[in-house]
Amino acid sequence: MKDTVIKFDNVTKKYKLYSSTRKRLLAIFFKGIKYKEKVAVDNMNFEIERGESVALFGKNGAGKSTVLKMITGVSFPTSGDITVKGRVSALLELKSGFDQEFTGRQNIYLKGHILGLSDSEIKALEETIIEYSELGDYIDQPVRTYSSGMKSRLGFAINVNIKPEILIVDEALSVGDNAFKQKCQKTVNEIIEKDNVTLLFVTHQTAVAEEFCKRGIVMKNGKIVFDGPVKEASQYYKTKYNPPKKK
Amino acid sequence: MSKISEFFKGYADAFTLNIREHKENMTQVLRLSVADLKKTYTGSALGWAWAVIKPVFTIFIYWFAVSIGLRSGNDIGEYPYILWLIAGIVPWFFMTECITGGTVCIRKYSYLVTKMKYPLTTIPTFTNLSSLYVHLVLVVISIIMFWVMGFAPTVYLVQLPIYTILMFLFFNAWSLFAGMVSAISKDFSNLIKSVNIGIFWLSGVIWNIESVADNKLLKVIMMLNPVTFICYGYRNCFVDHKWFFEEPVELGVFIAWYVVLAVMSLWAYKKLRKEIPDVL
Repeated sequence: MKDTVIKFDNVTKKYKLYSSTRKRLLAIFFKGIKYKEKVAVDNMNFEIERGESVALFGKNGAGKSTVLKMITGVSFPTSGDITVKGRVSALLELKSGFDQEFTGRQNIYLKGHILGLSDSEIKALEETIIEYSELGDYIDQPVRTYSSGMKSRLGFAINVNIKPEILIVDEALSVGDNAFKQKCQKTVNEIIEKDNVTLLFVTHQTAVAEEFCKRGIVMKNGKIVFDGPVKEASQYYKTKYNPPKKK
Repeated sequence: MSKISEFFKGYADAFTLNIREHKENMTQVLRLSVADLKKTYTGSALGWAWAVIKPVFTIFIYWFAVSIGLRSGNDIGEYPYILWLIAGIVPWFFMTECITGGTVCIRKYSYLVTKMKYPLTTIPTFTNLSSLYVHLVLVVISIIMFWVMGFAPTVYLVQLPIYTILMFLFFNAWSLFAGMVSAISKDFSNLIKSVNIGIFWLSGVIWNIESVADNKLLKVIMMLNPVTFICYGYRNCFVDHKWFFEEPVELGVFIAWYVVLAVMSLWAYKKLRKEIPDVL
């Protein structure tokens, strides 16, 4: 039986571009204010099943980030339907998404609650997260005092330890120093293999993608131009959009 | 026909969604409201004291300006002007906080909108709750001050929670509307900041609207103002000793205003919810 966890059904996302924010304000109250339309995602259809690992390729501006934002539920499609089943954990923009005045510990609870965990569930994970983040005593300091590396580490520690069902990883896992980076990659590998997590991986580095994923999707101008085994997808992407540099 | 029913269904859906988001996230809302309060007052040496010092100082300035400067701070009924002023200005402190703070609440908590899936309708609720805590403390202090100056609480004080709840609901609807519109453009919050001063002077917070009572029309217009309704509602409890049902017209008008605001906030929600994460 098919167990679809992510489904895009004729999804289109258009951004309205106004020449100024004043015009954008006026457009709330009056019709007929002119704007340009940018189609970021154009009538996209795809399904991802539980346990699949999918790489998403595409040049800058192909619409990858928009797709990810819509899966996480932050952004909304202009038309079409998106179905997402399960807890989504997104490793994008790890440094942001904290309340600057809260301590690291309070932020763990905040994020946990928003992701639908109960107090006791978070309590059970709290120590693991703190240990994983290697923040030590800093965990009880306000997040605004953290360095950017510390924020990323905390963000990563929270996101991988809350037992995600769908894991979204954007770009290289450039978190902290080399040792921490390796630890991150190891963890991602582990949860994919062990917990039957669905992985969505966005990258330009086709070699890394081939290592992690089985399926590949190539996007161009908001459309899917290739969907198939990751080897063929990365080949397609490399030859068409990312030719190797001549030396 | 189907268009009309669809239209109403849209609003009904937005309304039930609003209620559901509040229900499902009650603990998180309470927690964030406490955090918001802490955020406002910690980090300075006097900390919590500012929540009281600031209003006391403001009251003193108005009392000084009106009583000493303009020489018009006469006793109102049996109550000295200063007590009369306190009864009306304490709710005003809350209202002004909501009028201006409401317009920035979604911007202030933009990370909840753009970085995670958080129920947007509850953002104004927890920021306003945070102001409400301070308000309740000030109300208690006011009651004590009245007592100290020889005016023990009367039975009319039991209706105070009704006015507090009306005030909170009214300004919560406002904050949702204003917060969403100014998330699109800062112009709106600047506009409201300037208008806020006007509202203060026109609503009879520091001068008695009874002084325009000779002009019936003017007084009626003044009482239609929701801010005036709340200020004088608090005064009904503290100094005028009137029940809220003794002024059914004013109450009715206030509720009508509330319905208008609630519809506006639902309209803004329907129109802007999808756009806000893209522009913040």
